[in-house]
Amino acid sequence: MNKESDIKVLLIDDEETLLEYLAKRLLREGFTVKATFSGEEALEIASSENFDVAVVDLKMPGIDGVETQKRLKKIQPFLQCIVLTAHGSIESALESGQKDAFQYLLKPIDYDNLVVTIREAYERKAVLQNAQFRDQVEEIYRSGMGARGIKKAINRLRKIYGID
Amino acid sequence: MESINSLQGQLKKVSEELSRQRVEFHQTKAYLQSILQNSNDMIFYTDESGVLSSFSRGGEKVLGYTWEEVAGRFIKDLTYDPPAFEKLMADSRDKESPVRTEVNFKHKYGRTVYFVVSLINLTNTKGQNVGTVGICQDITLRKKLQEDLVQIDRLAEIGRTTSGIAHEINNPLAVISEISGWAGTVVSDAEGLRQEDKEELETAVKRIEEQTKRCQNITRQILGFARYSEPAKTSFDINELLKEAITFLNTELKHERIKIVLNFGEGPLSIHSDPKILEQVLVNLVTNAIYAIKEKGSKQGRIELKTTKKGEKAEIMISDDGIGISQEDREKIFSLFYTTKPPGKGTGLGLPICQNIINNLGGDMTFESRVGEGTTFTVSIPIS
Repeated sequence: MNKESDIKVLLIDDEETLLEYLAKRLLREGFTVKATFSGEEALEIASSENFDVAVVDLKMPGIDGVETQKRLKKIQPFLQCIVLTAHGSIESALESGQKDAFQYLLKPIDYDNLVVTIREAYERKAVLQNAQFRDQVEEIYRSGMGARGIKKAINRLRKIYGID
Repeated sequence: MESINSLQGQLKKVSEELSRQRVEFHQTKAYLQSILQNSNDMIFYTDESGVLSSFSRGGEKVLGYTWEEVAGRFIKDLTYDPPAFEKLMADSRDKESPVRTEVNFKHKYGRTVYFVVSLINLTNTKGQNVGTVGICQDITLRKKLQEDLVQIDRLAEIGRTTSGIAHEINNPLAVISEISGWAGTVVSDAEGLRQEDKEELETAVKRIEEQTKRCQNITRQILGFARYSEPAKTSFDINELLKEAITFLNTELKHERIKIVLNFGEGPLSIHSDPKILEQVLVNLVTNAIYAIKEKGSKQGRIELKTTKKGEKAEIMISDDGIGISQEDREKIFSLFYTTKPPGKGTGLGLPICQNIINNLGGDMTFESRVGEGTTFTVSIPIS
């Protein structure tokens, strides 16, 4: 099992006070947390820093939650997104046609549930990522390139997958 | 001789003319009779003082009076506002063209009948006023329909406004909830606080959380009501669903010493509908039943859940032996924001939402109640 501090969480919500306190709580919980206040800011940070789980508010000025989630996934395909919505129900959020989020959660946030969901999202990401990494590593070995080439290719993969 | 001949000729002409006119008169009379007997409109004729001297079959039907009952009465006395109608009659006498306007009449048994009335002044050959003809079209149904539409519009508007408000409130509510959560964490971990103080603070934070939840329940219900979505239908056993709905409420049932009696027929009662939202309705109705029993204050209560198949419909009856619904409340329990519960216990949204849901599923919901004896809610929904 991973330590909480291994789980890197990206928070995105224009409600700054909310994020301030949510970030504090999650930090105290032991997660590594980065708070951003818009989709634009989140995308910029995600272009240079790897995250495991993003918690995105659905309704934001500028790039909204659905779009932010879509673009984040382009930069970091294994990133799992939890989408928050102040709508009355999850179904109404789903009606907007976006089902590729790891989970939709209602606002006000049920904190305990959020923590559990972040851990589950992290597990999911790790499973998907490891499976694909293993597949590609095997493929490199099978490809019959020399030891040097293999080492180089694996290093390249490590970088892609954000594995140190 | 010649003059006699000519006189005879004239007499013949006149008598021919007379008989022709008699035929015409008869035909006109028959024509009028057939109109007065068969038109659905109320057609009346009064003398110059406004006393009825003819009243059509249509009038008898829509106002509920027979001709004998109104003969010799002033027509204005059948309206809601006699002085206003009197003035209208006077207006029609002064005018060449008919006066046309809406007038409310009183049915024999008291209800209002709405008419569009045309008043036509009748004069004799000397131009003197001899009476008034009224042709009145019953527009009650149209009026009611219009009112219903306005009501529906108003409900939709309330829905839009409240859901906007609910959405706006949800956001600061989320902030409050995070801050109180954080405060709770800090207090629990704090060192150097006196144990009493710590407990005080922990309780305070818990109270804030409870109240935030309370607000949240209201906003969610409002948003749930305002939203209409296609039900997600599947096949399921309604009896199983009821059993599940009760497990939700088990702790409360035990606490209140309420006996649940299941009265199901043999085997499953399978229907094709939306189990999730139906469950919401059933939980809501059973919760109300529990509340009614609590209110009565007796030591033990009983709730019976009965399901039966009635033709193409499944019927679910939820009966309690609680306090019952007063005559006054009966008319209002499906109104939005109407609640008999004390502040904080009821939102006045439960039953209107239930009704909305059941209607969306193509069913209907009725109730019977006796004050002090109990209430039965009956939900009837299509089997498929």
